[in-house]
Formats: sequence, structure tokens, C-alpha cells
Amino acid sequence: VVVVLVEQSEGKATDPSLQTLTLARSFGQPVNALLIGSDIDLSQHGVAVSHVAQHEALSSFAPDAWAAILGHLADRLDASAVFAAGTERGNEVMARLAARSELPLAANCIAVSPDQPVTLTRLRWGGSLLEEARLHSSRRLITVAPHAIPIELAPVETKVEKFTPELSDKDLLVRVTEHVGASGGGISLTEAKVVVSGGRGVGSKEGFAIIEELAGLLGAAVGCSRAVTSAGWRPHTDQVGQTGTKIAPDIYIACGISGATQHMAGCKGAKKILAINADGEAPIMLSADYAVIGDLKEIVPAISAEIRKQR
Amino acid sequence: MSPISAVALAAALIVSGVLFERRAFQLYRLIRMGKPVARFDDVPGRVRAEMVVVVGQSKLLQVLVPGLMHAAIFWGFMVLLPTIVIAMIGAVDPHATLPWLGAQGWYALMVDVFALLVLAGVITAFAIRKLQRPGRFVGSHLGEADLILALIAAIICTLFAWHASQIALGLNDYPASWAPVSALLAGALHQSWTPVLERAAVWAHVLIILAFLVYLPYSKHLHIFLAAVNVFFGRTRARGRLEPIQFEKEGMAEEDVRFGTATVADMTWKQTVDTMSCTECGRCQDVCPAYGTGKALSPKLLIMALRDQVMSEGPKVLSAADKGATYHAPPLVPNAITDDIVWDCVTCGACVQECPVGIEHIDHIIDLRRNLVMVESRFPAEAAPMLRDVDRASNPWGKPQADRTRWAEGLGVRVLQPGEQPPDILFWVGCAPAYDERARQAAISTAKLMKDAGVDFAILGPRESCTGDPARRMGDEYTFQRLAKQNVGTLNSSGVKRIVTTCPHCLNTLSNEYPDFGGRYEVVHHTVFLAELIREGRIDPLPGDRAITYHDSCYLARHNDVIAEPRELVAAAGRPVEMPRSGKRTFCCGAGGARMWMEESRGRPINQERVREAAATGAQTLAVACPFCTVMLDDGVRETGVKLQVVDLATLLSEAVERQKAWDARTKPAGSNQ
Repeated sequence: VVVVLVEQSEGKATDPSLQTLTLARSFGQPVNALLIGSDIDLSQHGVAVSHVAQHEALSSFAPDAWAAILGHLADRLDASAVFAAGTERGNEVMARLAARSELPLAANCIAVSPDQPVTLTRLRWGGSLLEEARLHSSRRLITVAPHAIPIELAPVETKVEKFTPELSDKDLLVRVTEHVGASGGGISLTEAKVVVSGGRGVGSKEGFAIIEELAGLLGAAVGCSRAVTSAGWRPHTDQVGQTGTKIAPDIYIACGISGATQHMAGCKGAKKILAINADGEAPIMLSADYAVIGDLKEIVPAISAEIRKQR
Repeated sequence: MSPISAVALAAALIVSGVLFERRAFQLYRLIRMGKPVARFDDVPGRVRAEMVVVVGQSKLLQVLVPGLMHAAIFWGFMVLLPTIVIAMIGAVDPHATLPWLGAQGWYALMVDVFALLVLAGVITAFAIRKLQRPGRFVGSHLGEADLILALIAAIICTLFAWHASQIALGLNDYPASWAPVSALLAGALHQSWTPVLERAAVWAHVLIILAFLVYLPYSKHLHIFLAAVNVFFGRTRARGRLEPIQFEKEGMAEEDVRFGTATVADMTWKQTVDTMSCTECGRCQDVCPAYGTGKALSPKLLIMALRDQVMSEGPKVLSAADKGATYHAPPLVPNAITDDIVWDCVTCGACVQECPVGIEHIDHIIDLRRNLVMVESRFPAEAAPMLRDVDRASNPWGKPQADRTRWAEGLGVRVLQPGEQPPDILFWVGCAPAYDERARQAAISTAKLMKDAGVDFAILGPRESCTGDPARRMGDEYTFQRLAKQNVGTLNSSGVKRIVTTCPHCLNTLSNEYPDFGGRYEVVHHTVFLAELIREGRIDPLPGDRAITYHDSCYLARHNDVIAEPRELVAAAGRPVEMPRSGKRTFCCGAGGARMWMEESRGRPINQERVREAAATGAQTLAVACPFCTVMLDDGVRETGVKLQVVDLATLLSEAVERQKAWDARTKPAGSNQ
């Protein structure tokens, strides 16, 4: 018996979970799926039984509770293996299950053979290395690297069993209580179409007011250089560069940024770069498509004023 | 001769011998548990190190007062060693002594003088510890040190008391006039008590020494046995070289590949001896740029934490192995050492340079990193793009290989094509000078100077790759070895013999580490090569009047002994001013050990500390000879606002050559010959 934790989003199983089902089927039969919250149709994916855990405390993600339910189900079915997708959630739940049951966990696998001992191939190093490993364990705990295996369909008849799990207070110690969007008006640096960044030339933490104003008008994310985070003017999450975020906006407006290699490594994905800098000789001029030479404290507010006038 | 005394001494010797042997044997087994590492080559070099570092006390004497203090005690005990036997004979039979030596006047004089020196050393040590209280002792076992000093003082005092009473009773086999201190003390002794004192002193002397012997292997003072061993097995050549991991070797099982250090069971025997040798003197802590700027790492506390693990977990590993079982020791990180400690290190080697007992801290750090990176995939997230780009794009910034020659546009530099005749000099540019705006000036100036001097040189252009240094110092040995093999292939097929590079990190990797992968070349730093050109009269600089202070790069000065030549260039370009920390005892810019690719979120910025030191010399120019130092210190100047210009030595030299040309043009009007 194989148990698979199936994650869902907007009433459908997530792709990584379906990929996991594909791999799990080749490992052993029958496949039992665990769904948390609501039932979804898994009959196209070779699932013999869908176990649907329903409990009022499960409206938000609680990794220990999920691990407890998964563990109890595996015990009840005497499962030889437990699978989950190698997503943030999947890996977290399985890590907690591994710790609870004192069993080894093989994370981010892309191939598993049901030999004795189980041999498996794992993705390491952000996908640049493949590791061949053997897993010695009475019950195999395995997560499957997302998007490494194509989803294959296997229509069967699926039995649905709803149940209410028993949860202790301890299982609910860790759970999501609130979702908060990232700072910067909710526009993430990595996805923003426009990024307005400030460097040492901005001069101070307060100096970022004009950068934020321009970004607000353009619907842009605010970024900064390493010098700015070193000086403590902005959090590291705002840093664009080699050791910060790598961005790829349509236009990158770099204000008072000299363009050190470490910074340019983070914005080389930008389609166009507009540099605003007092120093016409700054290295950023070599990479910039457009440049305004002058004091950003005059130029940036002038651009903002012009945008307001146009609207 | 008294039979009771003989029996008592025999009993004392047996008891202390057994107690000592039990502990010593356990320590020996812990050392033998270590993984293999090749440290039996270059015996002449090892003997030399032993003479210089142990007998000559060279590392200790780097700091004068504590150095002399220790040298007095060390040399004193070397001289006093035979007196242990003499005292044991004297304890059994007051009328007997060691044949020959015990009757020598000159030896009695030496004993007198050196015993006094030891006493002076102990008093100095107490004064340092109690009055001066230097910061290097923070975290050391201070009570233990006091006890050891007290024991040494007691050994010397009982020796003097014995000798004085011997002289007073006429039991001395040596002429009393040869032992002035003891003779002086003898005069002060009260007659009635002297025979009792003579017996008490010699027995106290012998028993304290035996107690000391038993206590030593349980204490940090174990170094008096192990320091000499550890120094002997230290690295003698190529200090900047890291031990390569053997990923594949004939006859080696896959399980035997050692991915750095996860637990005490993974340490090499040399690393185990390292931990046992530490005396907690804190000289490493004193010079560590990470510790000095308020970061989590102290090299001393690192070694002490490892020793605690060896002592607590090692015996469990051994006893499990005795029963044919395996004991899984807990991982060193984060149980004994936090992740922060491992990542704070700049691998500058200041600690290794300072350590009087030959501890090689960098090897420990790198092995911990290797395990974290290659096994646990756990490292500062901001360094991941560097590792990925070095692996995929062959440079840390993910720039196109085709852009490697952009810095040389318009300079007429030859790009060596496959199959072409090799040039006299291959100019290994390195990634930073090829791609970084601020670092490239050094490459441009060097190329211009070589052209001026008529040097036949070429660059590899797009066929050059990152040497792998930052990946290796991060602990990513896979990526390093792949790049090393690729570069060695390119270099060997091009038939290159002599390489010039502006980057000390490239220099270190090419010259010290590539031989492990079949690449053997003569690699010289551009400062060395340019100094050579000046000496040969092939370039002619005129020094300016600017005050220049030169910042030694760790990988140049400390790891590769290049100290004199950069200073020749400074003198050729301007007026040299030295910083307090220079040469072998330089202070890092903060970029080494792949720190260039990590955020410095703990403590104060190292680069700012260094530029303030440079500015305090009053120099206008901060000369550098490393692309990473260039970037770090230039950042430091901008951040602190100190008035300094950061310039590579090649550029300063290039300016000096132009100055000479301008002078020549003025003094020798155009058209005239002489």
C-alpha cells in the first residue's frame, strides 16, 4: 500500500501532486491519496481510495497536523511508502513526519525503484547534480521533485472515504494564522514590469521618499543597491544584485547607482535601463540605454510632477 | 642510598606512568581514528619548520613581550630536562648524581640562569594575565592556566630550594661557585632546618613534576607534547593549497568519499592533533578580521569547540567500533559550531600565520563548508547565484564568455587561438579584471606596460574560465574540480610555460592547486613580473611625491609570500608609507573565502576597518594588487568618506613610466640624440 499526500489549489490537485501520483503508482499498488479539507476527483490518476480529512482546525495550513494525519493513515493502512510532492509544503510536512516517526526522508526524487533496498535518484544543487541513493527503511518517506516527471493518466474507480482526524493541541502549535503581502505595495521585485531603484546617491533613508513616490506613480517596485542595504536604509529584500534579487523588468530606472558589477549582475535581465546619475562617467552609463546626468533629487521629483500633470 | 626512598620513587613512577599512559593511549587512539591526509613528504622542510617554529619560537616572537616570556620558559625547560633525572637520583640517594653532567659546573650555571629565566617568564605571564588582561584570552580556560603557571613556579622554587640546601649541606657534586643564585640562597638558610628542607624540596620537586605529567594530557597544556608533533606535520609548501577531495579513486568504495567534515568521525588525524595542540593563547582570535569586527567566528573558540567534540564524542565512536558497531556522532554544525561561524571566515590565514603550534584553521572551516554545501545544501542563499554562474557561465557574474576580451579593446592584445605558437608569457586575466569596471584598470595597465617593455604575451580570451577559487572556498569542490580540469586542459594543450596574473586568487589556484590536477606552470603575480622588468631596465619609472600605502592581499602576502616586489613598485611610483598591519601580518579586505559573494550582515564591515587604518597613515593613495581588494576597499572609501584613492600597483607604475617619459621629453629636446 502506498499513501500519497495530494495538495490542492482552487479545487484541483496541483501539478506537482499529480506528478507524484504518477511516480507513486510505479512504486506500488494500491495508491491511497490523502486530501486535506475537500474532496477532488482523482479517478484519472490511478487512486484506489481517496481519504479526505475534514476538521475545523484544518482551514489553514498546519504542517504538524498534516504530518500527524498522514502518519496515522500510513499506520492504519500499513503503508510501505509515503509520497508527497517536493514543494515547500510537501517537504515540510514530510520532514515533520520523518522526525515524528524517526525514519529517513528522501527529498526531491525523480526516479524510484521498489528494490530492496529502494534505489532512488535525487535532484541536488538546484538541479545541476543527480544523486543515486539507496534508502534503507521499513517505511519509505519520499518527496518528488516538482516538474521533473510528466503526468500520466490511469483511469480507475476511486472510492472516497471521508473522516475526521483526531488532533491534539500539540499538532496545531504551528499553523498559518495570517497572510501578509510583501512590502513595497505588494509588487514583487522579481515580477515587476517597472523597477525604480536607488543607490548611495539617494543620500539617506528619508531620501527614498522621492523614489517611492515615482515608483507609486508608475506602479513599480522599489529596489536598491548593496550600498543602501549596507547603510541600513532599506531591507535586504529590496536589494537588486549578485547577492540580492535578480530582476527582469521592462524598464529599470536606476537612480544614483554607480553600476558596480555586483549590482549589474542583478539587473542584466532588464529590457531597458534608464540611469539617473550625477556622474556621467559612472560605469552604469556603459549599460544604460538612456541616461539623465544630474542631481536625482531634482530630476526624480520633476519626473513625478510631469507624470501627475499628464494624468 | 635508602631502600625506602627507592621503593617510594618506583611506586610514584609506576602510578604516574600508568595514569599518564592510560590517557596518552586514549588520545593516541583518538588521533588514529582520524581520516588519512598526506603529511609525511618533504621531511627536510618539516625539520626546518621544527627548528624555526618550535626551537626558534618564531611565531611566538612575532609579539615581543609574550614571545620572550614563552621563549624563556620553553628554553628554560629544555635546559632543565636533565635535572628531572638528577633530582630523582638525588631523591633516592642524596650523595649520588647523574654521572658526568651532574658534576659539571657549566651545567649548574645554566640551570641556575635558566631556572631564573623561567621564573621571570612565569611572573611575566601572571602579569600579562592578571594586569594587562589582553582580549585574546576571552573564552579561554583561565583558571587552568593559573594552575599550570603555579605548578611551573612550584617546580622552579623547589629546584632552587633543593640546590640551595644541597650547597648548604655540602652535598653538591658541582662547584658551588658555578651556581651563584643557589649559593646566595644557601647563605640565607637556617642550619637546623636544612637537612629536612633538602629532603622535602627534592621530593616535592619530583612529585610535582610527576603530578604535572599526569595532569598534562587532561589539560590544555598538552601542547608541550603535541605542539612539536603538530608543527612537524604542518604544511611546508604551498600554504594556500586546499586538500582536494578524491571523488573517484581505484579500489575506493563510494561510501569512502569524504565530503568534508560532518562529525568528529570525519576529521583527519592532523585536524584532531590540531584541536589537542591548542593552548587557548588566543593569538588567532587577536588577528582574526571576523572576530575583530564583531562577528560570530573566533578561530580559537572554533578549535576549542572541535576539541570538546573530539573528547566527548570521539571515545563513543571508538568504543562502538570496538564492539563492531557504528556510533553516529551528532553533526558538528550546528551542535558545536553555528552556521554563522562557518560562513564568517574570509580564509585570510591570519590565524594560521599567528598560531605557534601549527593549527591550520582554514582546513577545518573549509571541511565544514564542504559538508554543508555538498551534503546538506545549506549555505547563505545570496551566494547561490555565484555558484550557479561559475558552474554554468564560467564566471561569477554570469556574463558572456565572448565579453572576456572587452577590456582589451584597442590595446592590440593578442588572443591565443588553439594550435598557435605559445607566447613567452600567458597573461591570465581573471574574471574580475575582465568584467569589473573597477578591477579592469589593473589589467589594462599591466598589458600596456608589458607592451612597452616588448614582452611577448597573449591572453586566452573566451577560452579562459574562472579558476574555481570562489566555488572551492565556498566548499563546492565539484564545481571547482570541473573548472580546474577544464582550465588545465586548455593550458596544457596551448603549451604555456609561464603565466602572469593580476589576481592573487587566480595565482594561488593556478600555482598551488592545479598541480593536483596535472597542471604545472610557473605562475607569477603581475607585481613580481613588473618588478622584474624594472630590474632588467625594460621599464623606466620616475617616482612621484605622492604618499602611497600598500595593502597586502592575504592570498599574495600570506598564502604566497609575495611581499618585497609590490613594495619595489610602490617605491618606484611614489613615497611609501606602511600601515601597522602589513606583509605577512596584513589585515583582510573582507572578500576572501568567497565572502565577496556573501552579505556582511554581522558586526562591522571589514573593508571600512581597513580603509580607516590606511587613511590614518596620512597617505593619499591606497595601493592594491588584487581585484577583490580593489573593489572592497574602493567601496570602503565610499562608505566611510575617507580621503583615499584606491589604485592598483600596475596603474601607479604605468603613471610613473609616463612621468619619466614626460621628463625625458622635456630634458632631451625632440630630434637631438643625447
